[in-house]
Amino acid sequence: MARISVPTTARLPSTLRVDPTNPAAIKILSRLSRSSLLLVALDWLDQNNLPLALPYLRENEYEDEDEDDEAGDFYPPARSPEALREHYISLQARKGSKREVLDRITEGDWRHGLTLYQLAMADLQYLYDHPTSQKWSAYRITPLKPPHDPDGEEPPEFDDKSLTIPRFHPSTFLRTLQSQVLPDVKAHYNFDTHKTLPLLILRIFILDSPYNTEHALQTTKTTTFDTSRTVYIAFPNASPHLFLTQPTTTTLTTPLPNNPPSLAHNNTASESKSLRHLLIDGLPKALSQPLQRRRVALRPTSLVTRNLAELVARRGGGRTNAAGGGWSVYAGEGRGARESPLDLGLPGPVLGVDDGGEGEGGVVGDKGVEGGKRVAAGGGDEEGRALKRARLVAKARFGGTGLVGDGKGVERVDVVVEDAFPGGEGVEDGPQEEDDEENDEKWRPRVKLTFHGSHVFAGIRQLVESGIIDGERMPGWMTGEEGVTVGAVRHGRIRGHKGSGL
Amino acid sequence: MASNLDDEIDDLQAKVSSLKKELRIHTSTLITAPSTRQLLAQDTPTSSSASKTQHQQQQKALLADSADQHEAHAQQCLYRACATLTTFRARDPDPRAVDSGAILGLRIEVLSRARFLRPYYVLLNRPFTGAEGSRHLRVHRHTLPACIPLAGLAARYLPPPPAAAKEGSRGAKGQDLARFARAVRREVVRYHHRLGVVADLRKAAGVGRETDAEFGEEERPDRLTDITPADAEVKQLTIEWADGRTGRLVMGDDGEILKLVVLGENGRDREAARGLLGGAATAEDVVKRLAASV
Repeated sequence: MARISVPTTARLPSTLRVDPTNPAAIKILSRLSRSSLLLVALDWLDQNNLPLALPYLRENEYEDEDEDDEAGDFYPPARSPEALREHYISLQARKGSKREVLDRITEGDWRHGLTLYQLAMADLQYLYDHPTSQKWSAYRITPLKPPHDPDGEEPPEFDDKSLTIPRFHPSTFLRTLQSQVLPDVKAHYNFDTHKTLPLLILRIFILDSPYNTEHALQTTKTTTFDTSRTVYIAFPNASPHLFLTQPTTTTLTTPLPNNPPSLAHNNTASESKSLRHLLIDGLPKALSQPLQRRRVALRPTSLVTRNLAELVARRGGGRTNAAGGGWSVYAGEGRGARESPLDLGLPGPVLGVDDGGEGEGGVVGDKGVEGGKRVAAGGGDEEGRALKRARLVAKARFGGTGLVGDGKGVERVDVVVEDAFPGGEGVEDGPQEEDDEENDEKWRPRVKLTFHGSHVFAGIRQLVESGIIDGERMPGWMTGEEGVTVGAVRHGRIRGHKGSGL
Repeated sequence: MASNLDDEIDDLQAKVSSLKKELRIHTSTLITAPSTRQLLAQDTPTSSSASKTQHQQQQKALLADSADQHEAHAQQCLYRACATLTTFRARDPDPRAVDSGAILGLRIEVLSRARFLRPYYVLLNRPFTGAEGSRHLRVHRHTLPACIPLAGLAARYLPPPPAAAKEGSRGAKGQDLARFARAVRREVVRYHHRLGVVADLRKAAGVGRETDAEFGEEERPDRLTDITPADAEVKQLTIEWADGRTGRLVMGDDGEILKLVVLGENGRDREAARGLLGGAATAEDVVKRLAASV
């Protein structure tokens, strides 16, 4: 522990230890399941992480006289990290309660404190265990025009014609981000690559304290540590986007008893909002390279979801960024062989009406119910034929997207319809009329649609497949092809196209 | 028992699909053969005069139809393979789509490692109304990866018509689809060439061949252990040596080497950088040098 604590602008070191009885630390750990806790503990004891997560060990192996001290100890300290590792592996094989592991960690092996690094690892493990626990908003990193006037008075403009793709270098980014942080706020940063998705996740843990030593944590046991906040930023590989979460306080659910809960909640809500603004201001500065005259800004892309897989699909480095819905047949990976110009065989129908055996049939016909209906359709009765057609239409409109099991679902879509009410000749002539003065005479009710569910567009697809929504007259934004979760519909199309195309 | 049956069914289904594929290939080969065309062509006039059954006539018509389709497809494939940049027409399924759903598609073929990759598509529509702007195109959908600066290219070569443009961009030029298509294709091909060079570098340096280190007597300190692209455009490469030195190589658009910095324990290691490059001007030269030295 440092002898003196001087207020600095440095970041919190990873080796800083938090008292294990601290409610925030306990909360972070107790959120994990038993198996995850053991996994995290074994990760701490890994050779690479050990310097940042040293457990409480017996001081001297040859000393026997202080055995008496240890006798009353419920969790006698281990002799070496290896022994401890074996103990945790044996715990893994055994059945038991979560409490047992948690107590062993907080009262036994790490009684002298858990480092911030350990807490970060535990928090990230929680994120992997509960992938939908955070709400992510996607931002596009857009280059800015170099400023014209030397004073920098005029607001910067987006450089639409720029051909540079913004680049991201983690350590440089962290250094410049640190210089953006105010001196009375301390942060701890931890990078981790996502286990399954091509993402780099940055966890930022923020404390209101001018010190970067244990002072920051000790004086704050009652006050500041409660207001610590955690923000995640995810950088998809090979894509000029970043995903940002809402800041969460570790102890939001337990407001101080002397404060009325509503007040405490208001406080933290407004605080986290201002923190978010701070981050959105600071991130582009940290990503810019002023020496090379490359400045960037963040542009919101109207996509907010809890599903990281969906974010990677729509804003990642692949082909599906601007080819959602029915357009996904152009981006599809499955039938690559057929697209080769050297394949002279006549391509089958895109919709796969009769090539059920070639792998595509599985998409539609893998459910027993639908298989039965297909037989019925063959029989030729009217209803079955209509259903078959509805299924084909759904396939045409949605392509390979919007399937229930694909794990790429958005859970909420908000759409404002600004079109005139379809009275008389309202709907049919919409696309041709661009002059707004004439249209203003029509009645424009303010219609706001909100779709909720575990996978909104899969739900719409199922409605189309079962014939409840007429798939042929359904507007394009209902297929999710725009890749946005917030939008305004004008002339039957989502305006702005922030998320799609360009 | 059940698993046996399932395996058998899987086997049979695989056989069915491979037979179907074979059938397709044979069909296209036979039907596009010149002799078949000849037979079909010379048979048609006689068939009308001869008293053939209706069934046969139908068969003949079907055959001729299929032959035409195959012919058209073969020609399209020829253009795609040779020109690598082709257009096609498509229809937007959205009932409220602009321009009644007419779509112009650009298909960009990429040849990588002696095989055609799945083509990239850029789909354009004409959303602008008004007398002077109605023929202006706009990128509607595309399947290009995020590292292709499509937005910038579109802003340069396919600017929106003056009426829809913002106040700042006065004097908007006309659109030039041909130049746009060429520029996009060039970017795509460059990107794939850079990817290919990275793969070649890894191969030439023996990256990922761990068996050498295991069975070899001692690890050479100047062995390259990793070469990975460090940015989206694959213009920057991270190079790692066995003894912990790291380097950063910056490539230009066409694989020319702009910069190479190697950091060792004691700061910058210029010798290692010289040793790796050895006067090479492009990444391909480095590949050749590495292949010769290993």
